Amino acid sequence: MSAVDVAAAPPRVRTRRRALRRLRRRPMAVAGLTVASLFVLTALFAPLIAPYDPAATNFSSVLQGPSAAHIMGTDDLGRDVFSRVVFGARASLEAGVLATLLALIVAVPLGLMAGYYRGWWDPVISRVSDVMLAFPFLIVAVGMAAIFGPSLRNVVVALGVAAIPWVVRVTRGEALALREQEFVRAAVANGAGDRTILARHLLPNMAGTLLVQATVWIPTAIIGEAVLSFLGLGVQPPTPSWGSMLSAAQPFISLDAWLALWPGLAIFLATLSFNLLGDGLRDVLDPKTQR
Amino acid sequence: MRGYLLRRAGASLIVLLVASMLVFAGVRALPGDPALALAGEDHSQKALTAIRAKYDLDKPVPVQYVIWLGHVVRGDLGTSTRTGLGVGSTIVDRLPVTLELAFLSLLVAIAIGLSLGMLAAVRRGSVSDYLGSTAALVGLSVPHFWLGLMLILVFSIGLGILPASGFVPLAADPIDNLRHMLLPAIVLGTGFAAVIFRQTRAAMLESLSADYVRTARAKGLGERSVVGSHALRNSLLTVVTIVGLQLGLLISGAVVTEQVFVLPGFGKLTLDAVFTRDYPVIEGVVLLTTVGYVLINFGVDLLYSALNPRIRVAGSES
Repeated sequence: MSAVDVAAAPPRVRTRRRALRRLRRRPMAVAGLTVASLFVLTALFAPLIAPYDPAATNFSSVLQGPSAAHIMGTDDLGRDVFSRVVFGARASLEAGVLATLLALIVAVPLGLMAGYYRGWWDPVISRVSDVMLAFPFLIVAVGMAAIFGPSLRNVVVALGVAAIPWVVRVTRGEALALREQEFVRAAVANGAGDRTILARHLLPNMAGTLLVQATVWIPTAIIGEAVLSFLGLGVQPPTPSWGSMLSAAQPFISLDAWLALWPGLAIFLATLSFNLLGDGLRDVLDPKTQR
Repeated sequence: MRGYLLRRAGASLIVLLVASMLVFAGVRALPGDPALALAGEDHSQKALTAIRAKYDLDKPVPVQYVIWLGHVVRGDLGTSTRTGLGVGSTIVDRLPVTLELAFLSLLVAIAIGLSLGMLAAVRRGSVSDYLGSTAALVGLSVPHFWLGLMLILVFSIGLGILPASGFVPLAADPIDNLRHMLLPAIVLGTGFAAVIFRQTRAAMLESLSADYVRTARAKGLGERSVVGSHALRNSLLTVVTIVGLQLGLLISGAVVTEQVFVLPGFGKLTLDAVFTRDYPVIEGVVLLTTVGYVLINFGVDLLYSALNPRIRVAGSES
């Protein structure tokens, strides 16, 4: 990509290409992107990667440490830990991505309406947002588990609902700031309808900030899913989840320490990689740090 | 100032009312007929009608809500279906443990996060800055219940110097109490230390390059005075804001930490209640958590406006 190509492209594409180039220069962010992609691929292709069926029990080789046959050892029912970790990626990433999507789908329109239309939308949406903030995500998860029974769906909803007030706040702020800008006023003067302004002018310029939000909420949701599954409020056995694997490992910790190590390490690396990616994106896209 | 506070108080009250309505609705949404559950063995129509009248289940829902609210405000949260004890007194028994855990964790978090954050800001770009920032990133990404298990592995099973679980009341034996709370406090505190570190560092960097600091330096004030009084004040503001924002995580963290270390606290009470379908306790816990949350956020707002004169002035103008 030569300098001529970059200069000749339309402004928004130029900014994106420049941003991508700067992202590539940050080794930490690149490392985060690579590892995060690995996790996503693992979750998608789990049946191809896992050597054993994650639910296959084998009572003759229980609580074994790592070996040639089982590179991460076996658990208390003789199941291969590595296969369970691989399939566990599905629950974590599903929760992470779906919860974040839920939050974005609900919160972005609300934030846009509050920030752009103002009027009575703003105070109403802000109050509703405040009420939602009053419920910590664990309490929502507990409540849902009490009413509907524990499941991954509850986890996704609880995590998504917890994120909504924050995303509303960010979107609203962006909309408030953007609506005062020249190009929006010019569009209004040209007779552009509200929907055009929102879709063509506001949203694309918010894309960077929203992307950053997504990279903040995905690791939060991954840990949230792990916490809820650890407590038994999320994914139910025998479906593997890193969190429930950790809670199952706790009684055996003095017999087989490896059992507690691998799932936790998986959660840690997945979260860390998305955090690194998010940090990198934030540094690149935040106009305040652009030099 | 007073106008601002009154508005915040009013908003908090509205939030509390709506939250209580949601909790009430949530409990009513539970599957099963509560009259049947309360009836025990006698399922006859006559018995059910009597029970419905006694527990006001035959009245319209809004009336039930008002009656329930009346009980709640007077401190009557019902009786646990598991233990038969009053929900209110059970919660009061368990709360000190969780409060101590929360207090110690925040202490750890502020001590580590604030000091290292300030150090990193003052020595920007140096090794200590880089190490601190990396440690913070790790601290943010580590699932703290896994950290707890690993610490138990090292310190309890491996070295045998700290207990893996259990609790000793502070009044009974302070030293043993702290021995039992050390690992849990560290586990819960690391996540917050990381957040506080980042925010402190950012806030201090911003204030250190601010005009009033340059003026102070130009006036010849010692570095310690410059950093100490001016930059520190802004950092405290940030810490207060974070504590308010992170409360939700503190609650969930406390629940998990109590589960890992088997501490008889509020969090464990909640979990046990969910798994034994002890609805009165769940209702009481959810309600209390929400109330506490709203109150603490309001308190944080108060503190914030006290520390930041700009809010005060803006509030009085409207």
